[in-house]
Amino acid sequence: MRNDHFSSTWSSTWVVCPAYNESSAIVSVITRLRQAGYDVVVVDDGSSDDTLELASPLASAVVSHPVNLGQGAALKTGIDFALAQGADVIVTFDTDGQHRDSDIPRLLDALVRNQADFALGSRFLSEPLNMPRMRRVLLWGATLFTVATTGLRLTDTHNGLRAMTRRGAQALRLRQNRMAHASELLAEIARSRLRYVEVPVTIDYTTYSLAKGQRTGDFVMILVDLLAGKLYR
Amino acid sequence: MIAQVVLSLLLGIVLLYAWAQYRRSPIVTVLSCAVSLIGFYFVWFPSHATLVAEFVGIGRGADLILYVWACISLVVLLNLHLKLRTQHELLTQLARSIALANASLPEDARPTEPSRMSSLTEGQTSQSRYRLADGPTRGQTADQRA
Repeated sequence: MRNDHFSSTWSSTWVVCPAYNESSAIVSVITRLRQAGYDVVVVDDGSSDDTLELASPLASAVVSHPVNLGQGAALKTGIDFALAQGADVIVTFDTDGQHRDSDIPRLLDALVRNQADFALGSRFLSEPLNMPRMRRVLLWGATLFTVATTGLRLTDTHNGLRAMTRRGAQALRLRQNRMAHASELLAEIARSRLRYVEVPVTIDYTTYSLAKGQRTGDFVMILVDLLAGKLYR
Repeated sequence: MIAQVVLSLLLGIVLLYAWAQYRRSPIVTVLSCAVSLIGFYFVWFPSHATLVAEFVGIGRGADLILYVWACISLVVLLNLHLKLRTQHELLTQLARSIALANASLPEDARPTEPSRMSSLTEGQTSQSRYRLADGPTRGQTADQRA
């Protein structure tokens, strides 16, 4: 069912899809992932719409937060769940429709070819579609910040499409519940000293995904969250 | 003299509080202690406060002490903010445990080994772990099961 090239290497690949009020996009996203042959766990992050009801019959598994905690918390829950199911590889995939399932094989291939534990999607290694100029500037700023604070050599630090081996997932200690999780995850990769690789992926910017995505003010809160996380044990 | 004693008592409480917080946040403790000790000194030697105040361009020692007190309040606010974060982390762990214990799995899902689950849901009973392994069927939600 799964791509032959990878099934010979890994017996279980789970795609973790954090979802919060994604009723407009989740059906097509999950359907495409299932048709591509992946096990999909949807983590409903306390949605107030019918995201949970729509995802339940389509996904391989559904985990539901009783209250809204944030995307970082949802990812951590999904990764924990996938590990509990014996996943060899875990892919994180946003449910607002901005990612393409056709990029996943490239991430998995990059893990194998580079013997890496993390394959991180980068929109700047390919041609980003319809990216607003302000978003581009903010992402560059975030990349500079991450390079300065973690030493990782990356071109895109806030990309929700990534793949990690079981060993990589187990090495992550994620505590940031909200948007700061992306920077925290990279800091954890740096701390783990495991191998990582960047892979070009395509982001489809639509009106819907832009509305759901990060705003300028979110980057300020990300910095505050990261600082607060440093101050407290 | 009365004011000095009352203020000293208050600053003493702040010092005790800071000491009690050391294991949680050394940075907050150090900041609180530093600001409290400075305030303590100026309460008992107000003339020195006036000298320092004049040196830094404030004018009156009383104003300087007021500013020190404002600084202490800000540090306490910061500590409260960080404590709220800790509470939120506990809430997250609780919500995650509930979510994983009530996960809906596909009918053909492989049973989860208890040893695997124990690493991610600390404190759960073995009964709830098995519930995740063989209880719910595909597409069921917590509400539907209820």
